[in-house]
Amino acid sequence: MDTAAITLTLRLAALTTAILLLVATPVAYWISLGSGPLRRIVQALVALPLVLPPTVLGLYLLVGLGPLTGLGRALIAVLGHPLAFTFSGLVLGSLVFSLPFAVQPLVAGFGGVDRNLIDTARVLGASPWGVFRRVALPLAKSAFLTSAVLTFTHTVGEFGVVLMVGGDIPGVTRTLSIALYDQVQEMNYAGANRTALWLVALSFVALLVLYSRAAPKLWETSGKARRLV
Amino acid sequence: MGTRHHFVSLSLRLSAPWTLLFGPSGSGKSTILRGFAGLETHTLIGFGRRRPDGGWEELAEMPEWRPPHLRQLGWAPQQATLFPHLTVRENIAFPVDARRPRGAADHIAEITELFRLGPLLDRRPAQLSGGEAQRVNLARAFAVPDCRLMLLDEPFSGTDRALRDELLPAMQHWLAARRIPVLSVSHDVEEALQLGAEVVLLRAGRAVAQGPAAVMLADERARMLRTLS
Repeated sequence: MDTAAITLTLRLAALTTAILLLVATPVAYWISLGSGPLRRIVQALVALPLVLPPTVLGLYLLVGLGPLTGLGRALIAVLGHPLAFTFSGLVLGSLVFSLPFAVQPLVAGFGGVDRNLIDTARVLGASPWGVFRRVALPLAKSAFLTSAVLTFTHTVGEFGVVLMVGGDIPGVTRTLSIALYDQVQEMNYAGANRTALWLVALSFVALLVLYSRAAPKLWETSGKARRLV
Repeated sequence: MGTRHHFVSLSLRLSAPWTLLFGPSGSGKSTILRGFAGLETHTLIGFGRRRPDGGWEELAEMPEWRPPHLRQLGWAPQQATLFPHLTVRENIAFPVDARRPRGAADHIAEITELFRLGPLLDRRPAQLSGGEAQRVNLARAFAVPDCRLMLLDEPFSGTDRALRDELLPAMQHWLAARRIPVLSVSHDVEEALQLGAEVVLLRAGRAVAQGPAAVMLADERARMLRTLS
């Protein structure tokens, strides 16, 4: 049993989920507040990883973070090494690849809050931050569970970006999905079966939590996220 | 004043303690209230009130647009938009919590008494009847600290007549004691006459006449009496 791959996968998924919830909340709230062209452009950009092949994202991340670009050179200067083929690089890849899974349920959650409640809160003296904290956030809270579970399970299951950005370094970047691929290549079907069962169990438990806690809100998620659940 | 749906051109002098916008539906009454509240972003409204010495006090500078939460307005929209995640007590305290003035607890106790909401304080909006929700809606508007203008949209829709007849004088007395002017919307002739309000007659987004209720609504009243006899 590849315990290193299990702990690495769980660490990657937990870290990605935590960071993405922090990043996705303001982005999703901003998107949900209006309908201007800029918001639509940002929404389309955020959704892009849903439709792009993971290898395309992987390629851009690999090249973008490497010594060929200014950003890559700056990162190398700061960190002392390239981000590619490191755990940090893997986290960055996961953040980009799972972004729509974090943002879209939150956009649906915030968008589902009655606009009249927001307006009433504003006139009654709540500042923009007060409206968010006292009205929008509590009324959209079930969307956060949907967002967290989808982001977590999607990160656990990602393969293409992980392979492109992280390679296959045991204990550093070899996640469960990569380990499974390796085991099949080695014709170690018993090991592959155990790894696959871990992936099935992790995803099933996460989705079970989601369905038990926030079933009615699932109708508000959109796009590929809705098809997945 | 214009919005995407209504074009309203209006000049009002709110010299009476209680001014009532009276007109058929679609005449722009609610749009005007939303304009005052700062919720119609294409709208520029300036307003002032009469000082005891007879002069006028500017309440919001023209043509500068001030965000709704800085306008210090009491606001009771037509549909009682109570915050569903808060109890009646928390709903009433909402405008107070936004600013945290001194003596807030006494203020809230007084308003609870005024609208007879004591037994309902720990209920959620979903557990209230239409009339009860409307009373909470009004109480929450009255709770705005240092209120400069009270905006009430059909304040007694859903409340029974007996209760309205009891509440109206108490509300008028409370507001007069604090020199808070009221701009309300109604199409109830009886309510207008009972209030002794200054009535502004609206037709298709224009103020066609302004004067005391007894004069302005004499025709409407005669028509109603003919219908009854």
